[in-house]
Amino acid sequence: MQDRMTPAERLAAVLMGQKPDRVPVNPFILGFAAKIVNLPIGDLYADPRKSFRAQLLCAEMYGYDATPMYAYASFGAWEFGGEVGMPYEPGQSAPYIIRHPVESPEDVDKLEVPDPRKAGSIPIAMEIAKLCYENKMPVVFQAGEVLTTAANIAEPARLLRWMIRAPDVVHKLNKKVAEFFIAVAEYFTSTFGADKCMAFTGGPVESNKLINPRQFGEFVFPYMKQIHSKVLGMGVHVILEHPCSDQNANLPYYVQLRKELGWNGKYIWAFGPETPLEKQIECFGEHDIIMGNVDPPSFQFKSFEDVLALCKDNIERGIKNPSGYILGVGCELPPLAPPINVYALMKAAREYGRYQ
Amino acid sequence: MKDEILRGLTDSVVSGDVEKCVEYAKKALEAGIDAYEAIMEGCARGMSIVSEKYEKGEMYVPEILCSAEAMYAAMEVLRPHLKVEHVGTPRKVVLGVVRGDIHDIGKNLVKLMMEAAGFQVIDLGRDVPNERFVDIAVREGADIVGLSALMTTSMVVMPEVIKEIKKRSPKTLTMVGGGPLSPELAKAYGADGYAKDASQAVRVAKSLIGGVA
Ligand code: B1M
Repeated sequence: MQDRMTPAERLAAVLMGQKPDRVPVNPFILGFAAKIVNLPIGDLYADPRKSFRAQLLCAEMYGYDATPMYAYASFGAWEFGGEVGMPYEPGQSAPYIIRHPVESPEDVDKLEVPDPRKAGSIPIAMEIAKLCYENKMPVVFQAGEVLTTAANIAEPARLLRWMIRAPDVVHKLNKKVAEFFIAVAEYFTSTFGADKCMAFTGGPVESNKLINPRQFGEFVFPYMKQIHSKVLGMGVHVILEHPCSDQNANLPYYVQLRKELGWNGKYIWAFGPETPLEKQIECFGEHDIIMGNVDPPSFQFKSFEDVLALCKDNIERGIKNPSGYILGVGCELPPLAPPINVYALMKAAREYGRYQ
Repeated sequence: MKDEILRGLTDSVVSGDVEKCVEYAKKALEAGIDAYEAIMEGCARGMSIVSEKYEKGEMYVPEILCSAEAMYAAMEVLRPHLKVEHVGTPRKVVLGVVRGDIHDIGKNLVKLMMEAAGFQVIDLGRDVPNERFVDIAVREGADIVGLSALMTTSMVVMPEVIKEIKKRSPKTLTMVGGGPLSPELAKAYGADGYAKDASQAVRVAKSLIGGVA
């Protein structure tokens, strides 16, 4: 079945609350794109030109609607003066932390908020952003996952222990991280114009695999609200929010965030497979777009027919969202997935995701 | 009196109260309670409760890390008083997160539970190269090598490591765990054991070596 719209037209339609030809597809592909174009995954994170080209070609080859971007979950350690490794060795699939820049509460006191123009991976993200801009694609910058970033700076177990033993130290660190994210947002929006930018945020350390909702309320919510309201205030209209892994218990806070921000701007919610689409529609459906959450490991292990069935089910449930739906995967698509299983997303979108 | 002290130890491990835990450890010694019993029936029992509460969603990782702190503080007090029959060579477990994977919080909980149960754990950390697991297992004469992986992309190295261990250290047993693994996968990978969480990891390790740590 032929597509009648281009990816840009399709996304624009969803963002404006209109119905495109079919549901758009954003498969949350990062490392997988490198595999498709026969590059080491390291290049996807270390070489902006190769990364942009790999992401673009992969999207073109399948016909999905996501545009290139730069983000990884170990963000923060390098930017604040630590060290990360790029995934060039077999078995490695994303940047990994070699040295955390903070080891003690005194280090937190001494920690300086870095200049975003020079900090860690930001120059790489900026190069990719420039290529997106030149190619008339949205510019995506990473902003908002304060606790994950603080954990990457201070080492997760240390930070989590401080949440109980020394909460003021965590707040001190979180404040610096929030300040940094706001500076990053200013850097990107002043370079390209806020209307060309989209913010991406999403952190695994915020998940209820690690912290309880009360801790989310104390150590995440205020900073998230601060950053999001600043970013929206700069004129960024779209925030792609990925509450990674199981965040069901945090859901009331995300709803509170949207309420307290006056349901400003458009959010695209990309929850993990743990959060049923029906629940998401109930919480955000009147205002926001829901991105699908097909189970990521299934792409690596299940048959094409099974993955197709999962995608069909996701479409049938997600398409009911009154403010728009994008077929998506619940977290990064595993780089070792057989290529045919990614095609299942496209086939499902074209066969079961047509709008009349 | 004895029950009260042991319960005090258990409760202060669960609540992560370092001072109280040390206090109860000292009280145990003063009351003539065997140090081994205090560790097993006080501290280790506390950690089992903690682990169960985590699995039920009643406790989260920050609290568990504080419980660990309390447990280690009490063990410092109790260990020097262990009787000779209990200080004999403990069973050695070499533990680490496989190559390409830095998710180490779960592995650290497994380590904690194993240490509470009396195993000597040699922690290789995260993103551990295959050869390192094998070399250390051989060098240390490990009873068990435990491999942890949290990603479908990283767990695929496990069969290679297990095969090499079997070749170079045939007596060493292997066990695997972490989100994407299952008993079926563990079997397919050639591992001797699989555990879905930290307390099960202790049970499996004990059953592999036929009883006590
Ligand atoms: C030897 O015997 C045994 C026996 C039992 C054993 C055992 C060994 N090992 C564990 N167990 C068992 O006992 C433990 C205690 O009960 C349990 O351990 P767990 O680890 O399961 O439980 C812990 C107590 C709490 N759980 C955790 O600590 C993991 C939580 C989740 C949310 C998570 C976190 C926190 C992080 N992450 Co990431 N992360 C996710 C995780 C989601 C999930 N569903 O697990 C997962 C694992 N991550 C994922 C991804 C994709 C990534 N992450 C990444 C990074 C990170 C952080 C660094 C930010 C952080 C880890 C911090 C750290 N130092 O550990 C990246 C990889 C970095 C790298 N190179 O490794 C990155 C690749 C993202 C990116 N593109 O950058 C996904 C993997 C998907 C897949 N393909 O399988 C993921 C499942 C999230 C998701 N919903 O998709 C049992 O599994």
